[in-house]
Amino acid sequence: MADTKTFSRIPMRTWRWLGVNESRIPEQLDGTAVKTQQLLVEKGKEDEVILVQRESGQFEIQVHIEDGAKLHLVNAQLVDADRPYTCRVKVFVGKGATFSYTVVEAGASKTATELYVDLAGDDSKADIWGLYFGDGERLIDLNYVIRQGGKRTDANMQVRGALLGKSEKIFRGTLDFLEGGKGSVGRENEEVVLLSPQVRNRSVPIMLSHEDDVDGHHAVAVGRMDEDKLFYLMSRGLDLSEAQRLVVEASFNPVLDRIPEEALKDEIDTYLQRRLSNG
Amino acid sequence: MTEKKKTYVEDIERTLYDIKDADHSVYKTQSGLTEDIIRDISKRKHDPQWMLDFRLKSLAVYNSLALPTWGPDISELNMDDIVTYVQPDAKMTGDWKEVPTDIKNTFDRLGIPEAEQKQSLAGVGAQYDSEVVYHSIQEDLVKQGVIYTDMETAIREHEDVVKEYFMTLVPPKDHKFAALHGAVWSGGSFVYVPEGVNVEIPLQSYFRLNAAGAGQFEHTLIIVEKNASLHFIEGCSAPKYNVTNLHAGCVELFVKEGARLRYSTIENWSRNMMNLNTKRALVEKDGIIEWVSGSFGSHVSCLYPCSILHGENARCEFTGVTFASKGQNLDTGASVIHAAPHTSANINTRTISKAGGKATYRSAVKVARRAPFAKCSVNCESLMLDNESRSDTLPVMDIEGDEADIGHEAKIGRISDEAIFYLTCRGIDEDEARAMIVRGFVEPIAKELPLEYAVEMNNLVNIELEGTMG
Repeated sequence: MADTKTFSRIPMRTWRWLGVNESRIPEQLDGTAVKTQQLLVEKGKEDEVILVQRESGQFEIQVHIEDGAKLHLVNAQLVDADRPYTCRVKVFVGKGATFSYTVVEAGASKTATELYVDLAGDDSKADIWGLYFGDGERLIDLNYVIRQGGKRTDANMQVRGALLGKSEKIFRGTLDFLEGGKGSVGRENEEVVLLSPQVRNRSVPIMLSHEDDVDGHHAVAVGRMDEDKLFYLMSRGLDLSEAQRLVVEASFNPVLDRIPEEALKDEIDTYLQRRLSNG
Repeated sequence: MTEKKKTYVEDIERTLYDIKDADHSVYKTQSGLTEDIIRDISKRKHDPQWMLDFRLKSLAVYNSLALPTWGPDISELNMDDIVTYVQPDAKMTGDWKEVPTDIKNTFDRLGIPEAEQKQSLAGVGAQYDSEVVYHSIQEDLVKQGVIYTDMETAIREHEDVVKEYFMTLVPPKDHKFAALHGAVWSGGSFVYVPEGVNVEIPLQSYFRLNAAGAGQFEHTLIIVEKNASLHFIEGCSAPKYNVTNLHAGCVELFVKEGARLRYSTIENWSRNMMNLNTKRALVEKDGIIEWVSGSFGSHVSCLYPCSILHGENARCEFTGVTFASKGQNLDTGASVIHAAPHTSANINTRTISKAGGKATYRSAVKVARRAPFAKCSVNCESLMLDNESRSDTLPVMDIEGDEADIGHEAKIGRISDEAIFYLTCRGIDEDEARAMIVRGFVEPIAKELPLEYAVEMNNLVNIELEGTMG
């Protein structure tokens, strides 16, 4: 697949046979136009925006957070299981500003998301919490990049996921410490639970650094469910699938708890529980 | 805020390595890469017909492949300027006294025969430019059926074995420089350890490239049979020239059922070297491959030893340290392919970058669907000593199935003020505290090295610190 035709690509390429350099989803989905939305949070203001995507298509969200402002953006994707979906989120974070993001990738047949956060202002902050859920033959292709150019920036990227059925997922998460971003810290963590022998999981935690005065960490844990946890629950009378459901729910909770609307949170929770039971 | 202090780590002392000998070659091919040159090399090496055919096929593959689209920039490498075969004025010998004085002096300076005399090595091989000039092995190992010789002798005396294994693990079509290697390879070592034989003292091959503008393409083929064991050490160096030299060696390791192989490398090529090396191990049931890899030299390095865990319970341990200084772009790492159930791997690396050097850790962990209960743990840490340098980490995990247990952790940063504060509070002066931290940082690697190399590495990472406190 030629570079120009894919939806997204990682900032630094690697072996081609791994199939992670470019997004598996094309730049342009058939017969759809990109719907663009702009969000501006003015200097010193605070805002919370909740977006629920139920329609298939191509979306772009452009966010500008001015100095000292704060935004919490909730982006829940609950598109029908047989329709594709792409979303590009571009965020500029000014001096002392905070971008807080809670994203749920639960629906669509094929989904590609690119998140591009520019921590340009000194003391700016990004706090990203993502959740993905794959079942059936779903393809989930995620590419999150945080560029830390300002001084003393703080990036936190926490991603939780579960895969069942024949689903396939690629998560690329990049922390890019630019020269001059002195005193910056970055943490990236992905936890994936694999629930079927047919799944395929690819994780690419990238850390790029052009600045020595930084503190970057990344960690990935991929695997089957912790047997001790399952044993504990099952010894208390739960059957295997109930026990599995509880463990997955526990790993999703830190993300779901950030959703301020109870109705939406319950809807996602019920939706995921139902799909977990079917899986 | 007061300016944060930096830790300066001395560049690697290179005087010893940089002494150039006069050019002692008796024959050099023309620079560049053509069918005539390949035929010429093959004829001079008295290749059997199948090897000439293999070389020509590899050349065709080389011409058909593009340069990789990832990794360090290697556009300054012009194959038309590279001399692929330089025959030194020396015949392969088993007697150190017969090695020509100049060449002998070079290896003497590097301490190669000394270690052999001290009985800390069970066998030694020394390659100078394109040919091996010295090879020896302890008598009792020969009696047990261990073979340690140069590749050319191996082709003559053990042709069937070489033919069965040669470039089957790294086929020429693997990548452009594997194809180049297949076309122009020369020298290198062949080791065969028969079933049940434990070679307790290491064997060592040392590769020295003396000629300017030349390439070294040695081939190392090691077969460790069932329940046998071996420790093999590889050392590389070259003096510095202001033209590009190329190293595109190939290492193929076959670790059979229940066997164990430790492969240690200290690479200290000069800063005009393009080091595009390929190393791969195939590990059968209950076998163990242990890599210890130190990358200190070269201008550009691409080195990612690959372990294919092919049999049940096969294991891989990878320990690596990379030190990139001014003018260096060292792209190193490892890859592991879990292809059988219950296979396990541990990857542990440290990288240091300073003075504008660029260090990249790149890895791939692949768990195939047919490899349930695979376990892999990766830990990579990067230390940056100034902000002119670059340090990147690019690991990929590709997991099929739901029975794997994979963990990856990475850290990047500088020496923390808290750690310095902690140590100075306990009466250690600041300079020593910084030195202790850097030594502690590379310690997991240093302890895996044979003693002589651990001492050498400690000398290499010699700390020179910013003045006294205050």
